[in-house]
Amino acid sequence: MDILITFFAETLGMSGVWPLSFAYATCIGSLLGFVTVYAMFAIWMERKVAAHIQQRLGPMEVGGWHGWAQSPADALKLLFKEDIIPDGANKWLFWIAPAVVFCGVFAGFIAIPFAAGVQIVDINLGVFFIIAIASIEVVGVIMAGWASNSKYSLFGAVREAAQVVSYELPSATALLAPILVVGSFKLSDFNAYQAEHGWVLFANPFMWIALLCFFIASLAGCKRAPFDLPEAESELVSGFHTEYSGMRFSFFGLEEYVSMFVVSAITATLFLGGYTLPFNLLDVGNLPAPFHLIGVAVLVVKIFAVIFVQMWLRWTLPRMRVDQVMSLGYKYLLPWGLFAVAGTAIWQVWMEG
Amino acid sequence: MEALEMYTTDDRTDVYTEELKLNLGPQHPSTHGVLRVELKMDGEIITGSRSDIGYLHRCAEKIGENVTYLQFTPYTDRMDYLASMNNNLAWSLTVEKLLGVEAPERAQWLRMICAELNRIASHLIAFGTYGIDIGANTPFFYAFRERESIMELLERPSGARMLYNYIQPGGVRRDVDENWVDDVLAFCDVFERRWAEYNTLLTNNLIFIKRTANIGIVTKEMVFDNGAGGPVMRGSGIKWDLRRDVPYLKPYDEVEFDVPVGEGTHGTLGDCWDRYWVRMREMMESIRIIRQGCKAMPGGEVMEKGMKKMYKTPLKPAPGEAYVRCENPRGELGFYVVSEGGTSPIRCRARGPSFCNLSMLDSLLPGTMLADAVAIIGSLDIVLGEVDR
Repeated sequence: MDILITFFAETLGMSGVWPLSFAYATCIGSLLGFVTVYAMFAIWMERKVAAHIQQRLGPMEVGGWHGWAQSPADALKLLFKEDIIPDGANKWLFWIAPAVVFCGVFAGFIAIPFAAGVQIVDINLGVFFIIAIASIEVVGVIMAGWASNSKYSLFGAVREAAQVVSYELPSATALLAPILVVGSFKLSDFNAYQAEHGWVLFANPFMWIALLCFFIASLAGCKRAPFDLPEAESELVSGFHTEYSGMRFSFFGLEEYVSMFVVSAITATLFLGGYTLPFNLLDVGNLPAPFHLIGVAVLVVKIFAVIFVQMWLRWTLPRMRVDQVMSLGYKYLLPWGLFAVAGTAIWQVWMEG
Repeated sequence: MEALEMYTTDDRTDVYTEELKLNLGPQHPSTHGVLRVELKMDGEIITGSRSDIGYLHRCAEKIGENVTYLQFTPYTDRMDYLASMNNNLAWSLTVEKLLGVEAPERAQWLRMICAELNRIASHLIAFGTYGIDIGANTPFFYAFRERESIMELLERPSGARMLYNYIQPGGVRRDVDENWVDDVLAFCDVFERRWAEYNTLLTNNLIFIKRTANIGIVTKEMVFDNGAGGPVMRGSGIKWDLRRDVPYLKPYDEVEFDVPVGEGTHGTLGDCWDRYWVRMREMMESIRIIRQGCKAMPGGEVMEKGMKKMYKTPLKPAPGEAYVRCENPRGELGFYVVSEGGTSPIRCRARGPSFCNLSMLDSLLPGTMLADAVAIIGSLDIVLGEVDR
C-alpha cells in the first residue's frame, strides 16, 4: 500500500487525495481480477475433485487440457443469459442482493496478508474485521430470499440467517485460542510469530481442538456441505437463489468460493504458519523485494490444501438437518471452543510463565 | 381462495404467524417423479400434508383390456420402470395361470436370475437416490456404476437396457449366450466388494444415521392398514416374503436365502434407517440367490413349445380369471385378469406396491421437519410410473 502511494505521489507527481485514491483503486482492481481468476479455478477444481471422488472425469473437452476452459466458458454463457426478475419480486432488493453478498465477502480480502508487505490494510483487529465484515453476506442472502417472492427462497434465507448467526459464536470463540498464543489481533503479527516459533497449531494441544472447531464452524459459515441447508437442493430446490439466473446467479456462486478462500486464509494464517515456510526453512518475510512474493505462493498452497478438504467433505458427507446444525453449534462446538480457549490460557500462564 | 388459518403466538395481537402452504412437487428434485405433496408448514415443522397423484396416469390397465395378452407385456415394463423384469414376470405368470401352462425349467431359472438382477438394480437406484435425498451426492454415482453392469448383463439376452420385455407368457424370449452365466458370477464377486464400500460411504455414516433413525416410523398396524409391502413392510419387522412363503417360481423353493427384516438397530423399529438397511441386505440375498441359480440352472428349452404360436396368432385363453402376486423390489405386485375367451382380457387390473406404500405418507409426515419429509419419501422408494399406472 505504502509503496503504491509513494509511486503515485512521487513517480507520477500526484498530490492531494489522488495518490491514496489511485492506490486503493489499483489494489481493489487487482484483487477483483485475482478473485475472478481464483473463483474460476476453484469451480473447475471443485468439479474435478467431485468427479474423481465420484469415479468420473469431470469436464474434459473445453479448452483441451482437462477442460481447463470450462469455467470461463460457463462465465461467458452466464453473462449472455437473460436477466430474469420474477413477477412479484421486490425489484430493488432482488437487484442489489447479489452485490451485497459479494461485497461483504470481498471486503475481507483487504486484511489478508499474502506476503510481507503484500497486504492492503494491516488492521489492528484484522481477525475480527474479517469475521465481522463477512457476516454482511447474511443480510444479502436474506434480501435475496425475501425479494424473490418464493417460499423455497424464503426458507433458504431463514435457514441461512439462523445458521450463520449461530456459527459466528463458535468460530469467533475458537479463534480466540491462537490470538491468546500470539497476543495480537493483527494478522501480520501471526506471520511474524510463526516465523519465529513455528506453527501456532503446534503451540499447545488445545490448538488442535480450536482448529477443528473453527474449521467446522467455517464450513457452516460458507454454507458448504454438510451445512448447505440454505441451498439444500433436495429439499429447497436451490434455496435462496432459486429464482436467480444469469450473472446474478453467478455472483452467489462466486461469493461461495470467495468466502471459502477467506476462511481458508484465516485458517492458514492463524494456525498453519501463514506465508512462512515450515520450520522457517527460508525466511520468506525478510527476503529482498521481488523474492518476498514467494510468500504468496506458500500461502496460496496452504489455502488450497484447506479448500481441498472442504471439497472432499462436501462430496462425501450427507447434509444435516436444521435442528442438528443448531445443536452441533451450541452444544458441541461452542463448549469445545471455550474449552480450547481456557486450556490455552492456562497453558500460556503455566508453561510459558 | 382458502383462508389461511391464523393464530396469535402470544398476547400481542399485532404479531401473528401464518401457516405456510408449501407445494412439494410435482416438479421437485426429491419427489422421485411427479408426486405432488401439499404441505402445511409451521416454520420448518410440517403440520399437515396431502399428497396428490395422477400426473403420470397413462391408463395402463385400460390399455390392457384393448391389446392382446402378449402385447400387454411391454406395457408392464413401463409401470415400475426400474424393475421391468419383475413386472414382466408377474404378468407372464398371470397369463400362464389363465392358460394353464407352465414355463420350461430352464426358463424358470432364467426368470429367477433376471428378476433378482433387476431387484439389485432397483435397490441400487433406491440407495443412490436416497443418498441424494439426504444430501450425499457420491453414492448415486457408485450405485449407477454397478447398475450399468447389470443393465449390460440384461441387455445381452433381451436387447434392451431398461424396459426389457424379456419374460413373456410361456417362458423367456430367447436363451442367454454361453458366457452369460460366467459374467453374472463375475459380477456377483465384484458387487460384494462394492457393497462393502457403500456401507463405509453411507450406511454407517453418523450424519446419515442421525438423519434417518427414529424418522418416519411405520408401525405394524400401519403396514396392515395400508397393505404396504416389500422393504417397507419388512423394515417394520414383519418377516413375510412371497418368494419364501408363496414361491411363485419353482426355483425359489430350491435356493437358500434369508428374509432380512428391520431390527430397530439405531432407534425405533420401522424407521427410515431400518427400511434402508433391509434394502441393502436384500441386495446381498439376491446375490446369494443368483449364485445358486447360476450353478443349478439346467439346460433345455426356454419357451413352452405350444406357446410359440402366440407370436403369429393372439392367445385366446378359456373364460375364467386369474390372480398372481409376485415379490417386486418395492413390494407385492399382483395382476388380476378376467378372460371371456377373446384375444384380450375383459378386465385387467394391477395391484401396485408403490401405491400402497405411498398411501401411508400423509400419516407419516405431520410433526416431522421439511428435511425429514424428503427422507421419508425417499425411504418409501416409490416409482410414480407404477403409482399412477
